[in-house]
Amino acid sequence: MRVFSTDHKVIGLQYAFTSLAFLLIGFLFILAIRWHLAWPTDALPVVGKLLGETRTVEGILLPEFYLQLGAMHGTLMVFLAIVPLGVGAFGNYLIPLMIGAPDMAFPRLNALSYWLYLAGGLVMMVGFFLPGGAAQSGWTSYPPLADIASMGQTAWLGGLFLLATSSMVGSVNTIVTIVQLRTPGMTFMRMPFFIWAQLVTAFLLLLAFPPLQAAAVLQVMDRVAGTSFFLPTGLVVSEQVLKNVGGGSPILWQHLFWFLGHPEVYVLILPAFGIVSEVIRNITRKPLWGYRAMVGSAVFIGFMSFIVWAHHMFLTGMGPTMGAFFQVTTMIISVPSVIIVTALLLSLYGGSIRFTVPGLFALAFLPMFGLGGLTGLPLGLAATDIPLHDTYYVIGHFHYLVAPGTLFALFAGIYYWFPRVTGRRMNDLLGQLHFWGSLIAMNGIFFPMFLQGLAGMNRRLYDGGRSYQLFDSFGGSFTGQAWSAVLLGVVQIFFIVNLFMSLRRGKTAGGNPWQSDSLEWKAS
Amino acid sequence: MEGLMIPYTAERRPDTGVSNGTLGIWLFLASEAMLFGALFSAYALLRTSATNWPVSGRAILGTGNVISMTLALFLLTTLVRRAARAASKGRQLQLLLSAGLALCFLGFKALEYYTKSAQGLLPSSSMFLALFYTLTAFHAAHVLGGLVANLWAARGVWTLDEAVTLGRIKALTLYWMFVDLVWIAILVAFYAL
Repeated sequence: MRVFSTDHKVIGLQYAFTSLAFLLIGFLFILAIRWHLAWPTDALPVVGKLLGETRTVEGILLPEFYLQLGAMHGTLMVFLAIVPLGVGAFGNYLIPLMIGAPDMAFPRLNALSYWLYLAGGLVMMVGFFLPGGAAQSGWTSYPPLADIASMGQTAWLGGLFLLATSSMVGSVNTIVTIVQLRTPGMTFMRMPFFIWAQLVTAFLLLLAFPPLQAAAVLQVMDRVAGTSFFLPTGLVVSEQVLKNVGGGSPILWQHLFWFLGHPEVYVLILPAFGIVSEVIRNITRKPLWGYRAMVGSAVFIGFMSFIVWAHHMFLTGMGPTMGAFFQVTTMIISVPSVIIVTALLLSLYGGSIRFTVPGLFALAFLPMFGLGGLTGLPLGLAATDIPLHDTYYVIGHFHYLVAPGTLFALFAGIYYWFPRVTGRRMNDLLGQLHFWGSLIAMNGIFFPMFLQGLAGMNRRLYDGGRSYQLFDSFGGSFTGQAWSAVLLGVVQIFFIVNLFMSLRRGKTAGGNPWQSDSLEWKAS
Repeated sequence: MEGLMIPYTAERRPDTGVSNGTLGIWLFLASEAMLFGALFSAYALLRTSATNWPVSGRAILGTGNVISMTLALFLLTTLVRRAARAASKGRQLQLLLSAGLALCFLGFKALEYYTKSAQGLLPSSSMFLALFYTLTAFHAAHVLGGLVANLWAARGVWTLDEAVTLGRIKALTLYWMFVDLVWIAILVAFYAL
């Protein structure tokens, strides 16, 4: 296996292992945060003393480092872990196999997209070793704070630029491959739903990322060349008026960011729908219910996701006319998502379900995604979003979508296609432990967030709101969340051990261990 | 997988009617349109809310350089277009000539940046200049990219199948036309309006 390979399978695996590594790092960041929130005055066990004086005092996280961990957790999980795993790894490995193509349409561009992704990730991470540390303005990098943050923010923007280039190259490749290299007889409506999901995802990445790429360059100009694209006139920082010419608009960044940011939500979830649909089709031993409706819904989501972005911005005072428009589009876009989940749910009806490990992850995806989706509706309406904005409720909402939602689907995919990649099966007992442990732990972490958020707790409080009497009764919930996070970490060890042990020692699987009828198991 | 042939790299797929390269370049340009669309949207928003915007951009920027740059850009696009119809020797020459013109364009651009900044007209001086520098730099980066692609296509004229080269020239023509369109938008935004 060559390092600089142009083979789609090798590149797929490179994406898989790199993104899993970033997933683990992103998880360790938040583990530190959860521990700190539960015991804000205690030293962080094991690593607290090793992090150095710029990051901790006597092992306790400093506020600056707390913010870096939070910002980089979000960045790693969204840009470097979940999307590359769902799109780069599963897409690259499986698309050519599922449509009967010899490889991706542009193998060298495919390799380029992986190496740009890796470079982008590393450039972002370099921030931790710069003076002032890594990016600390949240994964959304809102100016004016991001404009005046320490050097790590410039590294973040540079990394984002590389990632956007990588995703543009990758998505052109995916679309051309799917449109051009389908085997004779595979019409569009005969493609597996997985392929449709990847196709729509690629269009979203292709068209939504460039505006953020442009915005990243504008923010770099603000930081390096002294422009004021996102800096208003007369901004006061640390009791000093900034000397820039001003006239810029922080809201402009929010528009450009969320123009990617919202389609990005569907970039996370559509590949997950694709994987779950394949696994459910397999464990129920029958075709999907409502394939055509699912395809139509995915395409409709693709279009609609470009006109809902400002529902992240109700608090900017956009006025009732704009607000009404984005509320209506947001309510409309929830319909196709519900159609897809309902179709998957109805696909179970009448099936002789096999509760395999990938099957369990796929089945748990449905209610978890449902919970995340339904709790999103109050956030799509301005009247209820305004009090909930920036509270833990929002964090709970999107973590249900991404963690026991998308991530469960990705785990399902890993367990399901592992035999296709290696010819061996993953251990069933370790897989069961991984599943049940993760399910319990994730609910233990994310469910209390709804209650904390409804009580009005802001998502960014360094001390977990202990300086407010209002939140006195919530100390216990932080402790529970911290132990749940520890449990989540422990059960991931089962997964890691299982993954590497099964590579060499797993039971041999034969050509088609799940008795699947789809093309990727038949291709060599 | 070097041994496996990817179908439709040069020839059209019958049911979709395009080759991989043609579809690829159109998708790439769609992405580019979103990139410049975002930049010009930022221009529109910042300009409409600006408190001091120069009455005439031409008065600040001057018009001497810009005419030479426009001519270089349009001439090089014509050369790339014509390269598809020339015999293979002329084809290479035209690609190289147009790469030379792209280099001229970049030279003019660098000179312009140099003289402007020497006069104290920097990106940090005003919103007008901030937008001017950023948008033209984005555009110049695309000229540089096109220059490299021209050289790459010229190198392939001798070694590769004619159909592959023709496909590349077709893609390059579309690309340069897009770069010209962006240039026209820049002319309108900073010199005319």
